[in-house]
Amino acid sequence: MTTQQQLQHLYWRAGFGPRPEDVANGLSPRKALRQLLRDSEKIELLDSPEMHYQEAFTSFVAVSPGAGTPQTTMTTTPDQTTTGAGIKQPGPVASLSARSAVRRGINQPPLLRRENMTAQQRKMQNDGIRQSFYAMNTGWMNRMATSPAQLREKMTFFWHGHFACRVRRPDAALHLNNTIRQLALGKFGDLLLAVSKEPAMLQFLNNQQNRKQRPNENFAREVMELFTMGRGNYTEKDVKEAARAFTGWGYNARGEFVFRENQHDDGPKTFLNRTGNFNGEQVLSIILEQPRTAEFIATKMYRFFVNDTPNSAHIQPLAQAFFKSGYDLSVLVEQMFSAGWFYEAANVGTRIKSPIELLAGIKRTMGLQLVNDRPLVVFQKALGQTLFEPPNVAGWPGGRNWIDSSSLLYRLQLPSVLLRNAEFNVALKEDENDIAPQVSKLDRTFRQQVKTTVKLAPVQAMLANTAPTQQAAKLSEFVLQAPIRPDNLALIQKAADTAPAEGRLRAMITSLLSLPEYQLM
Amino acid sequence: MPTSRRDFLKTSVLASSLLFVPKFLHALDSQGLQKLADANGRRLVVVQLGGGNDGLNTIVPYRNDLYYKARPTLGIREQSGVLALDKDLGFNPNMARLKDLYDQGYVAVLNSVGYPNPDRSHFRSMDIWQSGSASDQYVSTGWLGRYLDSNCPACQVPYNGLEVDDTLSLAMKGELRKGLALKNPEKFHQITQNQFIAQVSGEKPTGAVSELDYLYKTLAETSSSADYLYQTSKVYKSSVAYPTTEFGRNLKTTAELINSGIDTRVFYVSLTGFDTHVRQQEQQGRLLGDLSNGLASFAEDLQKAGNFNDTLVLVFSEFGRRVTQNASNGTDHGTANNVLLLGGAFSKKESLIMLPTSKTSWTATYATNLIFAASTPPSCTTGCKPTTRQF
Repeated sequence: MTTQQQLQHLYWRAGFGPRPEDVANGLSPRKALRQLLRDSEKIELLDSPEMHYQEAFTSFVAVSPGAGTPQTTMTTTPDQTTTGAGIKQPGPVASLSARSAVRRGINQPPLLRRENMTAQQRKMQNDGIRQSFYAMNTGWMNRMATSPAQLREKMTFFWHGHFACRVRRPDAALHLNNTIRQLALGKFGDLLLAVSKEPAMLQFLNNQQNRKQRPNENFAREVMELFTMGRGNYTEKDVKEAARAFTGWGYNARGEFVFRENQHDDGPKTFLNRTGNFNGEQVLSIILEQPRTAEFIATKMYRFFVNDTPNSAHIQPLAQAFFKSGYDLSVLVEQMFSAGWFYEAANVGTRIKSPIELLAGIKRTMGLQLVNDRPLVVFQKALGQTLFEPPNVAGWPGGRNWIDSSSLLYRLQLPSVLLRNAEFNVALKEDENDIAPQVSKLDRTFRQQVKTTVKLAPVQAMLANTAPTQQAAKLSEFVLQAPIRPDNLALIQKAADTAPAEGRLRAMITSLLSLPEYQLM
Repeated sequence: MPTSRRDFLKTSVLASSLLFVPKFLHALDSQGLQKLADANGRRLVVVQLGGGNDGLNTIVPYRNDLYYKARPTLGIREQSGVLALDKDLGFNPNMARLKDLYDQGYVAVLNSVGYPNPDRSHFRSMDIWQSGSASDQYVSTGWLGRYLDSNCPACQVPYNGLEVDDTLSLAMKGELRKGLALKNPEKFHQITQNQFIAQVSGEKPTGAVSELDYLYKTLAETSSSADYLYQTSKVYKSSVAYPTTEFGRNLKTTAELINSGIDTRVFYVSLTGFDTHVRQQEQQGRLLGDLSNGLASFAEDLQKAGNFNDTLVLVFSEFGRRVTQNASNGTDHGTANNVLLLGGAFSKKESLIMLPTSKTSWTATYATNLIFAASTPPSCTTGCKPTTRQF
């Protein structure tokens, strides 16, 4: 394993891939890691006016606050006021508490009851909501491709799949995302508590319906099964008792967490062999006292950042140190990315990229931008992973699950679409989009060329001192983390030799990105 | 009805292995199940109605006062052409051709099929139907995918499970094997004929363990499947008139593949647009017409080639809609719904409408169909143990 490959490995795993200049810097992986950690100290919230859905027609339809089904009552308000001088850029907020970091306005109207809307209103609402989600989606993708805070964005992406949540309100989804972004490298306990109090999560897991007289166990169950300890470490009885502790946790019409005391069951509970009049915070604390929780999180991170197959010899020391540190996530990632085994061949170029990692990686490595970002969402849907739309609370299964006959063919065609104006042709499924299930056939069909710009000069500079006959090999070492098959190298070199001089580099890059090898990182 | 998540999975997994059939029989009218089991299904065609089809206006209880009380304008009156079936139920007036098939004994209706603790979200409900999970459980494989995972020799190529669409549904993804999605064989073949892809896909996987080998293996299988499907589909060109809709075209493609002799056990086709919150009558009527005409042409096509008798069609939607109409002449998300079964081997005059007193467990329906899909070849009856994740 060359130092360059190790360095690239770090950039792929701790971020969204290397740029040519990252490699040209010639940093040691150790120094690069320190740089990544430093660059990720800054917290920049995801936000833009386009991400805020504005109800367009409330002026002529009266709705009483709090009306509607649980799905539509949630009324978190915009994170930034969008009037006046445009977006107010939030400063670093590490010192602020999670709840106050993202400002909420107070004048955002609640979504209308869908039953009371005309078809036209319904369509306008769907369009408005969809536009907000598109802006959040592509805004984040661009952030993945360009932000210096690579590690923070990658961690945010990890938690996005871990605390998987899918709601109709864009403002609630954005707020959750920024809470995660803010605490992604802090203490896991803070993150867990903040996420548990997010209106989006409380809505998604039905805790708004969790009342003393009629407990709803959904939230309590998933907190333990998917967010902290994992199955087999608690009983059905523990789920019931924890659910009682979370009664009364909800959100108000302004999209703020509220503790509804009259709906809370403050009686004695026995949870994980301890008895007391526990509330929700105390239940989370007890969960964090279980070393199993540290192990569960460390294992999940290992599978995401290192290898799909967990290796207990690697994970145990990580989990123990993580637990000792009081669940400090920076400690955990630093230890993981500086371990010797992290750079061993078994862990390099052996993980199938998720669709987001594939797309963001191409964008970042090639400095690629789309003239119109909308197709980025289409690619995500066709490949099977759309930001803000996890399949369920368990998140994306990952690994080989990404690959089937059609998704693999789309992956292999994608570079030609992005770099050589090939046409992308796909009709998306209707039910992939819960936000607007009645999207017309036309809207679901994408059949066009995609206009892009790329920055190939840095790659060109990288090859400046390499003889033309060696360029394909040299380039493959930068683009691919898995060793290229000799037949493929010959194929690409041959294609390059016959390409006209001005298109030579682009031809080589496109071919390399179209290889099965490129699906791995 | 399953009592716990564990029991639920035990039931569905074991049931589909045919070893514990009696375990779930109680959940479904046993006589009805026997009729289905005798129906000689060799292949299963699943038709998904996306958006939550309103079952009450599909199979109309046209002599029920409560129905008309809840739906003063949306209820379909007898005089507007309800196609009377049996037990005071009738098909929506747009389903005349399906009614013909019903009269010939080819259609069965299961009423009130749902899953316990229903969720009214489209995507979550579809996730549950497709994965076959309990409503509080998350499974990343689909029920048909798990069928493909089973050890039967007939499930080893991707096209043993075919979805006529551009992308593959969760239902068709197993842990080890996944179905194949294609809109039409020619177009799919064309993509794999791209010079670069063709060259790369010719490379053999060197082993069978690494992720890279897995990618090459998938690519090679895709390529050879595309080739096979393209060549085979030329054998039979349909002369039956189908509705000129996307759904009609997809059913035609399905029939052509079946009649060409392609060895596919499970097909998956979707018809979308059933989320009728507003002005339901017109929209649902058009869609049900499309469904009825499409399925009738499909049946006719298969009959011509002698393939109808061993085909079973299952029509489902992620949920039904509420009984009471809303203020916009539509209906909102509900729970249980009817499931239609269509097959050539249902004997005449034995067409069944099952009206269980309690809600039919939808797992029983699934299990039934897995029996059909798995009933031949014989090796499947013992070897088909769908591999699922551990629960």
